Amino acid sequence: MASIELLILFLVGAGLIAYLLTKVNTFLGSIFTIFAVMFVFVSLAAYGFNMNMDTVVNYLPGISFSQTYLGFYFAIIIVFVYLMVSFFHPYYLNEYKYKDSYNLLFLLSLAGILGAFYTDNFLNLFFFFELIIWTTMFLIPQGKSREAAVSYFGFSVAGSVAMLIGIFVIFQNNGNSFDIATGLAALNGTNAIFVFILFLIAAFAKLGSFPLHIWLPIAHGNAPHPFSPVLSGALVKLGAFIGVLALIRIAPATGLFVAMDLPIGQYVVALLGSASIVFGTLMAIKEDDAKKLLAYSSMSHGGYILVAFSILNGLAFAGGFYHILAHALASAGAFMAIAAVARATGTTKMKELGGMIHKMPITYLAYLVAIISMAGIPPMGGFISKWLIFQAVINKGMVFVGIAVFFGSVGSFLYVFRPLAALFLGQEFREYKGVKEAPILMLIPTFIIMGLNVYTGVFPAGILEFINKIIVELGYTGITVSTYAINGSNGILNPALISLVFAIGVAIAFVIFIVLKKSRKVDLMDTYTAANFVHDEHLLHYSVDFYAPLERLYEKQSSWMKKFYTALAEKVKELGKLGKYLFMSKNVATTLFWIVAIIIFLLWGEVL
Amino acid sequence: MTIVNFLIGIGIALFGFVLQTSIGGINRKIVGRMQKRHGPRWYQEFLDIFKLLSKRAVSHGWIFDFGVIMALGGIVGTAMFMPLTKDILAFTNNGVNYDNFFIFVYLLAVGMLGMAMSASGSGNPWASIGVMRALTTMLAYEVPFLIVVLTIINYSGQSSLTGIMEFQQMAGNNWFLIAMPLGGIVGFICLMGMLGKKPFETYIAPAEIASGPMVEYGGKQLGMLFILHEISVFIEVSLFVHLFLGGAANIFEFLIKYFAVYTLANLISNVNGRFKIDQVVTFFYKWPLLMAVTQAVIVIYFGWVI
Repeated sequence: MASIELLILFLVGAGLIAYLLTKVNTFLGSIFTIFAVMFVFVSLAAYGFNMNMDTVVNYLPGISFSQTYLGFYFAIIIVFVYLMVSFFHPYYLNEYKYKDSYNLLFLLSLAGILGAFYTDNFLNLFFFFELIIWTTMFLIPQGKSREAAVSYFGFSVAGSVAMLIGIFVIFQNNGNSFDIATGLAALNGTNAIFVFILFLIAAFAKLGSFPLHIWLPIAHGNAPHPFSPVLSGALVKLGAFIGVLALIRIAPATGLFVAMDLPIGQYVVALLGSASIVFGTLMAIKEDDAKKLLAYSSMSHGGYILVAFSILNGLAFAGGFYHILAHALASAGAFMAIAAVARATGTTKMKELGGMIHKMPITYLAYLVAIISMAGIPPMGGFISKWLIFQAVINKGMVFVGIAVFFGSVGSFLYVFRPLAALFLGQEFREYKGVKEAPILMLIPTFIIMGLNVYTGVFPAGILEFINKIIVELGYTGITVSTYAINGSNGILNPALISLVFAIGVAIAFVIFIVLKKSRKVDLMDTYTAANFVHDEHLLHYSVDFYAPLERLYEKQSSWMKKFYTALAEKVKELGKLGKYLFMSKNVATTLFWIVAIIIFLLWGEVL
Repeated sequence: MTIVNFLIGIGIALFGFVLQTSIGGINRKIVGRMQKRHGPRWYQEFLDIFKLLSKRAVSHGWIFDFGVIMALGGIVGTAMFMPLTKDILAFTNNGVNYDNFFIFVYLLAVGMLGMAMSASGSGNPWASIGVMRALTTMLAYEVPFLIVVLTIINYSGQSSLTGIMEFQQMAGNNWFLIAMPLGGIVGFICLMGMLGKKPFETYIAPAEIASGPMVEYGGKQLGMLFILHEISVFIEVSLFVHLFLGGAANIFEFLIKYFAVYTLANLISNVNGRFKIDQVVTFFYKWPLLMAVTQAVIVIYFGWVI
């Protein structure tokens, strides 16, 4: 039996040891971190699947645990992403200013994650959330930008405060108890709607969904290279967890859209999710920095998750939960590939890169597999989840959500292809002639994630059966899954068959290719240039403003949200100035006046 | 599933290739007559392809070749799922047909991704520009098309192509082209986009970007891309036939409908100029999308179907 409490204490202790070891030797400390995370992952995987974790608390005061399928599903995915990323630490940490504390903070945030998903108490949940936010906040500025940490922290705190108010409402409503299960069940009427909205604000802020998405590209783009996969693959999923609490567990009784058989609250969330998909896609198409591009894609995928959880039936939930897994794997894979490139070349700007495939073929394959999953193309995991979500959307007849869902799906081909074309393919730049493939320790997680991306797309049955347990736990009926086939509401899908047929197709094509005459290998510069002599490979590399004609169509609109938040920041500053002017003035009389006025106001009705 | 199913699938892919290449040849003749020329012989396209396959070509590195293989593989795989009539289809097991609509959209995309990868891997900027235009065009036509399909699937409760076919062939139901006229028109316009026929031919544009993605190919790679093109046209036109024209009860009906649809698309193509790429996007997001949404609202929320 593995005890949650001991695992958390172990992580805290391991964090301290890692800190000391990293101080002595970065490589040693990082290797120790890998083993610490691996221990936690193995314990969770060995006992958690069958709910055999020990939840008794002996040492930590005021903290209690319980285990649910829902919490375990999130926890195992996130711990897995942490494990994969920890393999990258030995090669990156030396660049950072405060490298000693990196592993400590990393392990502490993992402790927070375990606690947050296993606790049965709202106050503990809030505590662990804050632990995650505070530790990760100090990890992000190690990249280069303090602004990134500030915006991440600002939005996270806005979400936490909303959640805290919601928790207090629940506390009062539930007879002064912080218990999660009874607290959520006891909610009704206006309180339920109020908490629903507050929790959704928290969910949107953590998930980086429209309209609380501004921090996402800033934080993802500027975070340390090995931390971006954690942010995108793991930490934003906390938002999905709160989203599940709000959309499914609370699900307040608002009016019903008869045509779609859906409560208005849920439908509004689905529309906001759709806006998230469309905005994320459009901004990703425009973006030049590969990491920011993937960050916008996370925003768009967060939208899919919200859409899935707002359609209240088992099929959509299955799609949503599967999408959480598929996107975690895909975005971790893609970010890790970009991180490997960034380590070798020192940049993530696509216009400065080209032809990396000839130097880093395995990293290229990892990226390719990840983006195929991200774009929802078989035979990868993303196809399964998108298919399930499509089924649910079509079945409900949600036309406008449908536009966004399809737009995001096709749009994802566009944006994921851009790093592929600009960064990996195209002309080989002479300044990167000395670049080598990533070291073997970094290739281990790359291969594992590649394998899992394919596995989730070919044999989803086992995972879907586990998801069915979560759906039943949430009080809905699961979907029908057989060994190879998945039943949707209006059709059946056989992912293994699709993959097999695709393999046969490739085999046929390969045979055709191999029996024909062998080609003559020529240089990349030896191309058709309409009889011009081009001496510089940079001139033959098409990567700047890749989708220029398309971008031009929404150029003016793309800065709306940024302008809105800049204006909001200005207003907040002005408000602060007003406060400063009123209360902290050098004029004693003014200050005195306000003190008296406030005392009068406070005593109004009591004494006066 | 037995080996027979897979052999039937390969047979369908081969049939699709032969069919489309022949009909493509006949269409070249028809267009020739329209323009007061003789036009080539109907089997000219076969000759072109086999000539290309027999030639020695150049290669720009492993991704250039790998992309072509992945592209052709994806398209052949997609074609193996395609039903010809409601009875002739490869993968069926105890009355369950594995020909879900989304396979065709997304497995086709694997092929397209492979081709785009290979083209970008050639290192020629024209190829990258062509790929950019192809993907942009795809973003344009795919959304209205999928909205129409959403309507069809929602209304018929079937997402397998044979299911949709049978639904239209049932007594009392019209073809969806007639039952949902707006959707049918949108479907045809989107088909033109998918086929890369002339108002939407922007991504090939031979006179402008030197054939776009194809610019660096020759020999066997180009021959394989020709095969890929023929099979993907087969898939796209068959999709339209099955979704909007009630599919086919027997193979002759299928051939007639297929020929009619492809020839009509080709004729329209030949009297049109070419859009610029941003015009393609604004075009599709204006009328076709509006019509598709109108159709969807009419069918799903009001239940009005002819």
